[in-house]
Amino acid sequence: MKRRTFLEIGAGSMAAAVRPRGFAGRRAADYLLVPMDEGQADHLKAYGLTFRLLERAGKAEWFLNYRNGSFLLPGDRVTARDAALAGVTVEPIDEAAVFQIKAEIKESNMDAVPLEKAPKVAVYAPPSAAPWDDAVTMALQYAGIGFDKVWDEEVVGGKLKTYDWLHLHHEDFTGQYSKFFLNYNGAPWLQDMVERNERMARKLGFRDVPADKRAVAYGIFQFVDNGGFLFAMCTASETLDLALASDGVDIAASFADGTPMDSNATAKMNWDRALAFQGARLEQSPSLALFSDIDGHQVNSPDRRQPLGTFTLFNFSAKIDPVPAMLVQNHRQVIPDFYGLTTSFMKNRLKPGVTVLADEPGAPWAKYLRGERGKGTWCFMGGHDPEDPQHQIGDAPTDLSLHPHSPGYRLILNNVLFPAAKKKELKT
Amino acid sequence: MRRLVSSVVLAFAMVSAGAAQDRPGPDPATRAFDLERRGQYAAAAEVYRSILVGRPGDLGALLGLERSLTPQNKLAEMLPDLRKAMAVGQPSAALYGLGVRVAVVAGVPDTARALVARWVVVEPNSEAPYQEWGAAALSARDRAQAKAAYQLGRQRLGDAVLAGELAQLATIEGDYESAVREWLAAVSRTPGYRSAAVSLLGRAPVTGRPTILRYLEAVRTGAAERMAATLTIRWGDPVGGVRRLERAAAQIGEGMVEALQDGLDEVRGASGREAGMARAIGLELLGAKIPAQSTRYWLESAQAYADAGDQGSARRMLGKLAADPKASPTMAASATSTLVSVLVAEGKMEEAAKQFGQLKAVLAEEERQGLQSRLAEGWIRAGKLDRADQLMAKDSTIEGLAVRGRIRLYLGDLGEAASLLRLAGPFAGAREAAVSRTTALALLQVIDEDSLPTLGAALLKLERHDSVAAGQELARVGGALPPDRGGAEVLLLAGRVQAGAGNRVEAERLFHLVTDLKVAASAAQATVELARILVATERKPQAVEMLEQLLVSYPTSAVAPQARRLLDQAKGAIPPS
Repeated sequence: MKRRTFLEIGAGSMAAAVRPRGFAGRRAADYLLVPMDEGQADHLKAYGLTFRLLERAGKAEWFLNYRNGSFLLPGDRVTARDAALAGVTVEPIDEAAVFQIKAEIKESNMDAVPLEKAPKVAVYAPPSAAPWDDAVTMALQYAGIGFDKVWDEEVVGGKLKTYDWLHLHHEDFTGQYSKFFLNYNGAPWLQDMVERNERMARKLGFRDVPADKRAVAYGIFQFVDNGGFLFAMCTASETLDLALASDGVDIAASFADGTPMDSNATAKMNWDRALAFQGARLEQSPSLALFSDIDGHQVNSPDRRQPLGTFTLFNFSAKIDPVPAMLVQNHRQVIPDFYGLTTSFMKNRLKPGVTVLADEPGAPWAKYLRGERGKGTWCFMGGHDPEDPQHQIGDAPTDLSLHPHSPGYRLILNNVLFPAAKKKELKT
Repeated sequence: MRRLVSSVVLAFAMVSAGAAQDRPGPDPATRAFDLERRGQYAAAAEVYRSILVGRPGDLGALLGLERSLTPQNKLAEMLPDLRKAMAVGQPSAALYGLGVRVAVVAGVPDTARALVARWVVVEPNSEAPYQEWGAAALSARDRAQAKAAYQLGRQRLGDAVLAGELAQLATIEGDYESAVREWLAAVSRTPGYRSAAVSLLGRAPVTGRPTILRYLEAVRTGAAERMAATLTIRWGDPVGGVRRLERAAAQIGEGMVEALQDGLDEVRGASGREAGMARAIGLELLGAKIPAQSTRYWLESAQAYADAGDQGSARRMLGKLAADPKASPTMAASATSTLVSVLVAEGKMEEAAKQFGQLKAVLAEEERQGLQSRLAEGWIRAGKLDRADQLMAKDSTIEGLAVRGRIRLYLGDLGEAASLLRLAGPFAGAREAAVSRTTALALLQVIDEDSLPTLGAALLKLERHDSVAAGQELARVGGALPPDRGGAEVLLLAGRVQAGAGNRVEAERLFHLVTDLKVAASAAQATVELARILVATERKPQAVEMLEQLLVSYPTSAVAPQARRLLDQAKGAIPPS
């Protein structure tokens, strides 16, 4: 081939590759199907695309189990532009195609759930929390989902009632600073955490931090009871229940409240007040960063630590059980496990009525749970960061642009969209 | 000691478990061990206690009870069992050890001290009672009690006793002066402590390091100098560490070879010029210390000096080798080969060519080609393209084609350059060279001209690290070419060169120029480059607007992923990289 011919072919193909195909010259489609199977270029941002449409008072549908939980969005230019900017794969389709898809949904274990209102999202975190140390915050930021930060003052002051969705991550609601106090004594970040928490406890009129955190836990409990949606990961799940069940019992070490933990605390716990767990045995050692035997992996106990495996998402009937079905929509059924201060939940510590959404086959623990309390719903997932399985203090933050297909992060984002589902459609 | 006793008891229990298979039901010890193995600690503890009812001094049951109560955090509850056990005859060392551990956990240090006193009567010259007591106190995070235990031991047994334990304690407490003093005593008594000493002292915070080095300097013994040298290397001054060894050769004496080898081991994990220099110096010193192997060490030293960019020292080493009658022909050839590389790096091309001419007949084919390519690269950098061309003319290896392609490119013979670079393919040579070749090929594809000496000259300037002049010339060449026939691409390259040289204003001007030319591929890339500058200079809203426009206008552009990532950064959706 002569150089000139070669060059012309090369230049022609390059020009074709970058020919403007913007929106000005494109006819808007009736609908945009956002596939969530392997063909999706960015699974995580697809949730943000849908969320922002709802924020603009648009309407969407979530096709449970259809192409791994696809979304149907209107084909307007704003949505198409948003998809292009986010790099989300969309397929323009017309009414006839939608009709065909819905016919398939009707005949299979699938369902079409209308999404109609963007939930108002709050994340519980101290005002100076590190921006990249919380899987949910990172997922929300990456997907482009707006949220407010709330902390003790807002919770105790009743501000939670203005939100639909609350997220907790690695907070320690027993008020013991994740029991890092002895091992990280002197570390500036820990000193800062202690000082900030003590200041807040004093400001709110509590005698110590454990008392403050117990009040916050109760505020969160009331939020759920009154119809809120709670999603908690890592230590927040376990310690929230410990704080709720320990009313009147000293479960905090002396470094937190000046008195040692009640040696008979395990027997005095009132699990009726807890959301998910019961009958747990509390960890008495103040120096072990563990709280109880709820966690199956016990990552900080050299004797009891369990290795990581994989967890499997359960299949639910989309038509009969749309809520758990929504929470497990994914393009992967088997997901590598990841550690956290609380990594998993022992099944023998679950209350009756708790739904296990994912577990490790053959292991005595579950990974992902949901349940209801009063008018509200809660969801717990063990582990700290789905894409940083061995997460250690001081590790570099996870860059989600390198993990746009993360199945673990998808589970988090399922939770964010779940409260947007039209209530009357939900059968559980 | 505690571990040893536990292992013996475990082994005993396992033997017992095996023997029990012949009997109708397992005996209590086997049952307890089985419960313990299954994690049923409370039940195991009960069975162990039932054994102790009949045999309160049964050491196996007592240690089993300790193992079962520890995970339940109930070890303190064992005190009554221990009292009963102690009352049965003369306690053994193992029982005293257990007693001390339980007493510490139970928070009764006086009992621990009393038990140690009784234990010492049985084993008056042993460090074990104090070690056990101190270790138990450290496990319970009671450093004061641990210190008291070790100091009591020293008071009773002599000055250097328990130095390792006291050193560790002082290190944990941040008392670096005491830590160094104790570590030196420990190393002097047991040299095997050296690595533990360096490892623990090495973790000292930056603020504690001067104290450590000051103390070691004041001591001026061989052991202190070796420790100081290793720590200096570990704390980021590898050359300083090796030089320190060199200066302390007299104090270190016969241990110098081992000290140098330790120093080289310490440097091995590090990268960068300083580490390379330290390695070269260390090898040179080692060569002088081991005459039988001096040629090997000096050759390695010469290569290390050359790699670190110290061509003078490399030549000095090679000079020593040349004068060494012990050097084998193979060694001599390797030395000359290194010398050619050194000369090329120094820009002494005529001398390098002469050495290569004399050497090439004895070199293996692969080594000869590698050296020839290096020589050609040297000619290119010297601007003598004809010499490089002449040298490589008959080289048809993949690497040779790549070098020849670059020579044609710098001569401005774009047609031949494109053919040769394409023949070399995208994999020859190091990754950086391969990327650079592919980039050059992409540039050539959009230019019509078969010959463009001005472009070649500009690219040669770039090769010779004259970025400012290269950027200016590229801008002139790009401006003269039709925008859609390479003009935009060359201007884009000019902008990148200016940005790389830190000339942001000029880079921005050139990128704007390219975007205004509206040649799709180049315009998209220039937009990303511009946005990169805007993000770096905290003009993020402008960057966001620009990137969004790019993604909307050219959603399928090859730069869309880069643009999207940059957009995420500008919006704060991902951590800054």
